[in-house]
Amino acid sequence: MKNKTIKKSSLGARASRRISNTIIYIILTVITLVWLFPFFGIVMESFKVNVTGMDGELFPGQWGFGNYTRLFNETDFLKWFLNTALMGVATAFFQTLFVLSMSYALSRLRFKARKPLMNLMLILGMFPGFLTMILIYKVFSEAGLTMQMAPVGLVIVYCASSGMGYYISKGFFDTIPKTLDEAARVDGATRMQVFYKIIMPLSGSIIIYTILMGFMAPWGDFMLASYIIHENSQGMSVAVGMYEWLSKTMVNSNYTMFCAAGVVVAIPVTAVFLGLQKYYVEGVTGGAVKG
Amino acid sequence: MANVKLTNVKKIYGKDTVAVQDFNLEIADKEFVVFVGPSGCGKSTTLRMIAGLEEISEGTVEIDGVVVNDLQPRDRNIAMVFQNYALYPHLTVFENMAFPLRLQKVPQKVVYERVTEAAEILGITDYLTRKPRALSGGQRQRVAIGRAMVRDSKVFLMDEPLSNLDAKLRNQMRAEIILLRQKIDTTFVYVTHDQTEAMTLGDRIVIMKDGFIQQVGTPTEVFDMPTNLFVAEFIGAPKMNIVSTQLVREGDKYFVTPYGAKIEVTGKKAQMLKDQGVDSREILLGIRPEHMTMASAGDPAAIPCKIRVNEMMGSELHLHVEEDNGDRLIVRIPTVALEDEQRSNMVSGTTIHVTFEGKVMHFFDPETHANLLA
Repeated sequence: MKNKTIKKSSLGARASRRISNTIIYIILTVITLVWLFPFFGIVMESFKVNVTGMDGELFPGQWGFGNYTRLFNETDFLKWFLNTALMGVATAFFQTLFVLSMSYALSRLRFKARKPLMNLMLILGMFPGFLTMILIYKVFSEAGLTMQMAPVGLVIVYCASSGMGYYISKGFFDTIPKTLDEAARVDGATRMQVFYKIIMPLSGSIIIYTILMGFMAPWGDFMLASYIIHENSQGMSVAVGMYEWLSKTMVNSNYTMFCAAGVVVAIPVTAVFLGLQKYYVEGVTGGAVKG
Repeated sequence: MANVKLTNVKKIYGKDTVAVQDFNLEIADKEFVVFVGPSGCGKSTTLRMIAGLEEISEGTVEIDGVVVNDLQPRDRNIAMVFQNYALYPHLTVFENMAFPLRLQKVPQKVVYERVTEAAEILGITDYLTRKPRALSGGQRQRVAIGRAMVRDSKVFLMDEPLSNLDAKLRNQMRAEIILLRQKIDTTFVYVTHDQTEAMTLGDRIVIMKDGFIQQVGTPTEVFDMPTNLFVAEFIGAPKMNIVSTQLVREGDKYFVTPYGAKIEVTGKKAQMLKDQGVDSREILLGIRPEHMTMASAGDPAAIPCKIRVNEMMGSELHLHVEEDNGDRLIVRIPTVALEDEQRSNMVSGTTIHVTFEGKVMHFFDPETHANLLA
């Protein structure tokens, strides 16, 4: 009798879990479709060959790579693309360096200004970045870091305050047991060696996250970039360059090419993520200390 | 191999949280010293100050005659084993053990020799290619010890290395540490909260409480002549029975009168009382559970009491008995000393008579808790 009731209630639990799972998956599927639809639309647009503007159709009447060949043969897109890619690589490198050093210091070192510094950065982070745009432009134009040299200037901007984005990696470093640092220091390591021999190998996922964030920044930045770059095709990033195709006079002849460029821009970011994904291992700290 | 000297060492956290007070100790070359005490007594903090992982607020720490206060841990030439192993999870067992050597840029051949030799001593040769997460607790601790062994460090520090192991493994590892110590003859400083470890491992034991050293001595010294009530109760398991009673002097003879019984002080303790001219007075009397014996009812030295709990430990019984006025005592009786019939009678509620010999007593001042004879 008792057995029966237990069985019954567990069956009930299983059934209700199945129902709630089904509901959750339905919601998630709908959200995913809504989310993916624009991307799908862009890919479809990029393969249209007989139209160049918006024709209101989802699928191409005629398929082809015309937009892509035009993109590389008739525009400066390749130049912009390389500019942005270089900026991405440089930003990823320096930003990762700054963010990780900052996070490690705040996670491991105890100094008087630590708390005030963290609070200050939190407050500073609440101001929108574009508040400083005019000033940055002024300084950069004096220093010759606009137009042709804009990519260099932009990398400096992207990296300059990047240390303030320490929260996530500091949070991660905080979960690596401090005894590991201590053991390494007793074993003869300097703070620097502790960082790159112990902490870095254990922080794969967070390092990749930081690299990706840095690499992606220049691809998506339009506002600041458009101010710094202005009017010089040689120094343009993809976002600024492509924007011109959408102006009232050009949108009808360039819209499908714009979509093709959008697809091309998605490639490096996706490639970098896929390439780094294998280092994205979870649970790498297992067995370090008694849990 | 080196001596370690701590002079007036003090550790203050923040503004006024004192963790270690006026710590003075000289650890001889190749000596095995154990810091023992309850949690929060400052033993680990002291060890970490020797290691360089905690700043020293006041006083000096010398290793081999050199003041190391301002030296980084890596410049102190020490090896340390941590309670939670602290193995590098991304490295294999071999690389974990080789880590300190790699930092010293020791040639590959020497690294290989030293690591394999240490692995052999510790019996972990088969696991050298594994990662720490694929090891059991005992194996991990061996790796941690191995990592400390491969270096020619001056001092070997161990911070509760066995606390995370289960009881059986702990006993086994304890014996192995004794063997290890014979193999790598160096200066050891060992921290534990377990008095058994302290007694079995240490050449000398430093007993600490609330940041103060209570007593420094060999295991025999601290067991036979604890300087105060704290040490007396801390060392020995089960802990010492403490009875508030009278010390009575009758001419040249001394008696104690716990619970109406009258027991003469004999042996060395009686001589010491006489030499120091101690008069009749209130005392706290300490008797270790293993020094208590069964007595017959008519004996003037017998204390009648009721059994509350009978713990059968196998080779001995731990009887928790209650005297008429509610005082609890623990009596440890070897099972071989009891007839089968007696043993089966030892149930809760039974009245038994216990006593103890005159030469095994400890006398403490009820006010200061200091040992009257130490």
